[in-house]
Amino acid sequence: MSTARAGSRWIRADLRARKGQATLTVLAVAGIVAALITAVTLLEDSTNPWRGLFAQTEGAHVWLYTRDNTAQLAGVQALDGVTATAGPYRSAPVTALQDGRREPASLRAMPATPPRVAHPAVVEGGWLDPAQPDGVVVERSFARELRLRIGAPFTVVALSGQRHTLYVRGIADSADQGFYPEWTPGLGWVLPEALDRIEPMLGRSEWVTGLRLADADAAQVVSQRVVVMLDDQLQRLYTWREIRAAMELDNRLLGTMLALFGVGGLVAAALALANAAGGRVLGQLRDLATLKSMGFTRGQVALLLLVEHGALGLIGVALGTVAGWAVTALAVGASSVAPIPVLTIVAGTALAVLAAVGVPAWRGGRTPPIPAAPSQPPGGRLSRLARLALLVRLPPALVLGTRDAFTRRVPAFLTVFGLAVPMMMITIGLGVWATLDNFARNPEQVGQHASLYVRPGKLEAAQAARLAGADRDVAAVYPGTDVNALAPGEGRSVRVRAVGGSASDRYPFPVVEGRMYAEPGEAVAGQGLLDLLGVKIGDRVRLTVGGSPLIVRVVGRTVEPDQDGEVLSVGLDSLAAKDSVPPEYYALALHPGAGRDEVAARLLAESGENLEVQAAVNPADRLAMIRVVIVALTAVLTLIGLANLLTASALGLRDHAADLAVLKAMGLTPRQVMATLVTGTGLLVVLGVVAGAAAGASVATGLIDLQGHTSGVGAGIGRPPSPVTLALAVLLAVGTALAVALIPARRAARAQVPITAR
Amino acid sequence: MSDEAVLKAINLVKIYSGGAVPVPAVRGVDLQVDAGEFVAVMGPSGSGKSTLVHMLGGLDSRTSGEIWLDGKRADTLSESAWALLRRKKIGFVFQFFNLVANMTVADNVELPALLAGASPREARERREDLLGALNLGDRADASPAQLSGGEQQRVALARALANQPSVLLADEPTGNLDSRNTRDVLRLLGRVHKDGQTIVMVTHDARVAALADRVVSLLDGEIVDDGRIARPRRRTVGEVIDLR
Repeated sequence: MSTARAGSRWIRADLRARKGQATLTVLAVAGIVAALITAVTLLEDSTNPWRGLFAQTEGAHVWLYTRDNTAQLAGVQALDGVTATAGPYRSAPVTALQDGRREPASLRAMPATPPRVAHPAVVEGGWLDPAQPDGVVVERSFARELRLRIGAPFTVVALSGQRHTLYVRGIADSADQGFYPEWTPGLGWVLPEALDRIEPMLGRSEWVTGLRLADADAAQVVSQRVVVMLDDQLQRLYTWREIRAAMELDNRLLGTMLALFGVGGLVAAALALANAAGGRVLGQLRDLATLKSMGFTRGQVALLLLVEHGALGLIGVALGTVAGWAVTALAVGASSVAPIPVLTIVAGTALAVLAAVGVPAWRGGRTPPIPAAPSQPPGGRLSRLARLALLVRLPPALVLGTRDAFTRRVPAFLTVFGLAVPMMMITIGLGVWATLDNFARNPEQVGQHASLYVRPGKLEAAQAARLAGADRDVAAVYPGTDVNALAPGEGRSVRVRAVGGSASDRYPFPVVEGRMYAEPGEAVAGQGLLDLLGVKIGDRVRLTVGGSPLIVRVVGRTVEPDQDGEVLSVGLDSLAAKDSVPPEYYALALHPGAGRDEVAARLLAESGENLEVQAAVNPADRLAMIRVVIVALTAVLTLIGLANLLTASALGLRDHAADLAVLKAMGLTPRQVMATLVTGTGLLVVLGVVAGAAAGASVATGLIDLQGHTSGVGAGIGRPPSPVTLALAVLLAVGTALAVALIPARRAARAQVPITAR
Repeated sequence: MSDEAVLKAINLVKIYSGGAVPVPAVRGVDLQVDAGEFVAVMGPSGSGKSTLVHMLGGLDSRTSGEIWLDGKRADTLSESAWALLRRKKIGFVFQFFNLVANMTVADNVELPALLAGASPREARERREDLLGALNLGDRADASPAQLSGGEQQRVALARALANQPSVLLADEPTGNLDSRNTRDVLRLLGRVHKDGQTIVMVTHDARVAALADRVVSLLDGEIVDDGRIARPRRRTVGEVIDLR
């Protein structure tokens, strides 16, 4: 009790004396913890809306799309492990017209009493009512995209070209498919009678059946048996895994980024803490000895230091937890913050903090209790190099400063390393930035050679192609069709993108490995597809497209930002004619410098609004959030760097305060004294910053490619930051550091230094 | 006399063996300090006087020999046990004052009292008394850096006396002060001594040592002279005859 009282006096006094540094430490730790918590929450499944939606709607684990509502479906429903079924519901493809936009949609017929399994959860308005046969319930993400409200008219165009106006009765959540626009077409539910009116032709619709399983992990087995049983009846099939993956796409990438930066930052923060605590202890050896002479024991001094420096870290952890929780609650909703990983992070960072300050605290405890014992830096002699430098008349301030920089090896190393780690992370951040810039600037490198997609709409395909080709800004027109293919043994669908020719007029896919296809029967694929099917370049792949087999040899890997890279790209002539004629769309490559929106507007005008024109969505636009993350993390890392710098500068000043009088006596001007001090810290800063930037630049591309590989996009997207950016960052870091080091150095150089023992 | 001894050293030896050659600093010192005595330890630089005083206060470990404090053997204590002992029984004053730089004067003086188990209020009252007695009552909220050397040493003295220690160990308390401040500090030491405080003071200044009851001279780690100073005011005919 008595020690606690006396100790708290000391801690309070010491913290008061170094408010700035203490605040910096707290903020740096808080930033790191907040980043880690946000990361883990984003990575944690619970942020994925799928889980909640699935539970809420008692969703189905497997969704299959068939041509007919035949007796075979009954067999599927009787499969082992299937506990309940939803549907089969009739579903018809339509185009939704809203504010001049045309969005692909599918209308699903559902009874007025919602089913037990996979019932949409109404969040606004109500469910379908036989009293209002023109009512429609729209899936929430689709409704948001179309800015639909309750009671708003919802105009759809059936395949026949006929327009129908429905009225929005309700908006509902569903776990039946992913969110719009990542998952197309958008989903709307209507009464069966309404669907019969809109699309009377049974041949133009398909049947959707959901299977709820006893065991979610059995989805794979069940879907394989469905594929075998239904054979060419089956159009497409999805399991809950694809739907979950579609819902979480961006969270996952952001989470990985944050986690990477958070872990790197944690290392840097721990170093900064250790450095700060160590430097402070070195600076206080005499005070600590005084405490011991007054009757503090070794253990009590160590504990005192551990409490003081640890408390700063722990306050940071607490603040960071609150901030991280607030950020995630704002971003993804309060309920989704998972307690266990957050607690793990809090405990882990707290331990890291205590470990980081533990060693300096232990060392401080071992201070000999004789206060007069000087704590001079080791090594009093000029090195041979320094003497040589003085001999050749290098400025003495430079030489002395250089010597000062390394008189204490461990703090010098901690400072260099403690600056190198944040600088490395910042450089990696710049690399990510450069990669995103590269996506935006060179969309053809991520498979977006074409920036506009034109669907014939009401026009004939040939007419649409002619119209598009005639535009003065269009450089090339590639006919194309996207189909869903069943992968054997996988029990799920993958996307086959057939566009351009196989031998001539090939669509320029960005092939980063192997080669481009050169004849029908060859294909290139994204990393995700290669991983999914377990094939290598050179292997043959057998898929089923609408009942007919598609056998191609994969000859190359492309950078594939769509569908988690699970896309197979072929020439249009590799597909059977029934699937490829007429082409579903035309991909338009524009002349460099042509305005995409102008061309789109012109094409719409020329076709009398009959063409459907869509702009390609650049992955960089989807990932814009990453830039915010990079800026925030750079700020936190800068704080860490600054904390390190203050420590280094304080320690250097303390070690050499007594020398200053001597230097002045020897005839150094105040300016030269200042230069000596600044050189001492500045050299460490330059070393750390340059080493960090070099390390960051050399690993940035590799790390981004690794991330690309795991996310299915594939390696080959990473770009290092441009030399100019990097040089600017280095200069800025060093400049800031020198400016910060200059202030205390200036004060010290001007001050009257008493010549006393320390 | 021995039952009155506050501090006793028996054949105390200190050998620094850090370097290539072991350096003996203290070579078999026998010293007994009685209650209320004011002992000055004199000697040239390197004679081992600071080492002796540090060993007596447990700041430095002895190589061999015994130390008895208040009738209890202290040299066998661990570092922590020494620390606990110091809280109540030993007050230290150093040449360079050694005030905790970040703490105010008041905190510096209250710290040992708190450490010894006083309540914050007791510590404050004691501090007010001490600082008042040392004419520093108005500087309580100043930081040590704002004080003159003499003022700092007076604060250090107040700190050392905060727990009414059995013995006050002073290592060159005036070594860093000008003559005026030296006089102030010495006057204070004389006052507390008159109040019954046992003091062991290291100095190389004969004028300073002249204040003490007894001067112990050290040379190369050994006691070469141990004599009671005959004080003019105490000098009676009988005493003079006794001495001669």
